[in-house]
Amino acid sequence: MISLLTATRLELIKTYSRYRTYIGFVTISILVPLIMWLVRKYGFDEMQGNTLNSLENSFVFVGSLVNGLLISYYLMTVLWVHFPFFIVLVGGDIVASESSAGTFRLWLSRPVSRFTVLTSKFLATFIYTSSIVFFLGLCSVGCGILIIGGGDLLVFDKGILILSQEEALLRFLLAYSLAVCVQMVVASLSFLFSTMSNNSVGPIIGTYAIIVVSLILSVLRIDALDGIRPYLFTSYFDVFFAPFADPIPWEEIKFNLSRLGIFIAVFYSLSLISFLRKDICT
Amino acid sequence: MNKDQIIQTINLSKKYKNRWAVTDINLDIRQGQVFGFLGPNGAGKSTTIRMLLSLIRPTRGAFRLFGCANSRNIYRRIGALIEKPDFYLYLSGYRNLKILADLTGGISNDAINEALEIVKLKGREHEKVKNYSHGMKQRLGIAQALMSNPELLILDEPTTGLDPEGIKEVRDLITDMANDLGITIFLSSHRLYEIEQVCTHMAIIDHGKMVIQGDVQGLLRDTNFFVTEVEVDNPDKAYKLLAEEEWIKKTTLSERILKVQVAGNFRPRLVDFLVSHDLKVSSIVPRTHLEDFYLSLIEQRGQI
Repeated sequence: MISLLTATRLELIKTYSRYRTYIGFVTISILVPLIMWLVRKYGFDEMQGNTLNSLENSFVFVGSLVNGLLISYYLMTVLWVHFPFFIVLVGGDIVASESSAGTFRLWLSRPVSRFTVLTSKFLATFIYTSSIVFFLGLCSVGCGILIIGGGDLLVFDKGILILSQEEALLRFLLAYSLAVCVQMVVASLSFLFSTMSNNSVGPIIGTYAIIVVSLILSVLRIDALDGIRPYLFTSYFDVFFAPFADPIPWEEIKFNLSRLGIFIAVFYSLSLISFLRKDICT
Repeated sequence: MNKDQIIQTINLSKKYKNRWAVTDINLDIRQGQVFGFLGPNGAGKSTTIRMLLSLIRPTRGAFRLFGCANSRNIYRRIGALIEKPDFYLYLSGYRNLKILADLTGGISNDAINEALEIVKLKGREHEKVKNYSHGMKQRLGIAQALMSNPELLILDEPTTGLDPEGIKEVRDLITDMANDLGITIFLSSHRLYEIEQVCTHMAIIDHGKMVIQGDVQGLLRDTNFFVTEVEVDNPDKAYKLLAEEEWIKKTTLSERILKVQVAGNFRPRLVDFLVSHDLKVSSIVPRTHLEDFYLSLIEQRGQI
């Protein structure tokens, strides 16, 4: 029987042959340099003022603390709500589009198991997710340094943390690696909906709606919601900011990663059950 | 289990919600047969084919392909074209075939090119499928079914969308593959003429149930089904007279030609009857069209 590796390779060929796969890459390629340029041209002084406003009474700052790394750090907030759109665009489509196009009839009448087909799609989704997350990181940090300039990274955590550029770059690498796990939860949820649907619009809207609602529930500081918060995957989304603490809270990262891993495993398992039982009628 | 048994279904049934789409279908298809699968729309033909290709799961019953049940590797020996073939529109025809070839395994580039040659798509294979006509997509569908040199071809309406020349080519191709290469072919088609021309065996299903199964000529012969086309000088008068006779199963009049359904041994009596009623018989031609047989069977089941 055909190997999972071959099926994944074929899945990647299909995924990266579609225009929609590049929507995220193109948008990031345009928006990130534009934001960096706009900050440099118009928002530099204002941002410096906002950043240092509350600190100027206690500290004396020499030079500029607003640099490309700080803007990149702020840009990471898009990973909460905006960035998942690029993920669901592919994750929500990867199974459903084949159902609606009827191409599953050709695939599933070949000597390949449904488990292999679905798992190869899941792996392709993972590779896409990783590539676009790291692309954002590379664009963000790279353009930040190139357009605005590098330097030490000033982070407000439980105090003020100043990281050297070299240290900050390593922390960014860790942060974006953790962001891949976060975005994989989004991807696997949209993937689950994709296996249940015969068109990609439903999974995309459905996943996005759940993300928004879950995020609102996660951030609302209401005691009544304490009971359900551990069951919301968005409660663990902020793990990618953890590397910017000192010392790095490895225990917290491990805990959050394990929870995110459970969500990914559950969503994938449900997808598999759904797909194995699915009748290909269209 | 017979060694040359290629497809065997045992009480194969599928239920959608509260409706049985297919009930207790028992097929027995042997090596080298060109097996026609007939039935009106919604009879359950595509459902049966989808179960054989494991696109849908049977609610009840089982099937064996090449004597094996539940083995995905068996599908390496099968080429299938299910209704209209759907490809990745954003990829070229060649790229589509290449992906399916890699997915099947063991299919060389030469085999892909050969299949493209057979369906006359050579030279257009690097165009995106979205630019293909319906007929071209159908040809590409046949190419993907052929490229693995299958031992069993499952074709569901393979000539849909093809021009008359294409239909004849596919028909000839099916006949050649069966005769020269010994490929077993399971062909679902609405074109009764096509089935009659190329099939050695057939089954008719209706409302999800098997109506009849056997070899084409044998069925036509054994069911004593004959249509005799008669030309007389006054067909209206003849039609009225024949319609009242009990020994004649059915008479229809179309374009001044009488089609009389009567057993073969009654044919001399038919001529005598017409002559005795002062009708001049100019021609009498016995025919055994599958179409007449099929329509008669379906009509008996209250379909028309």
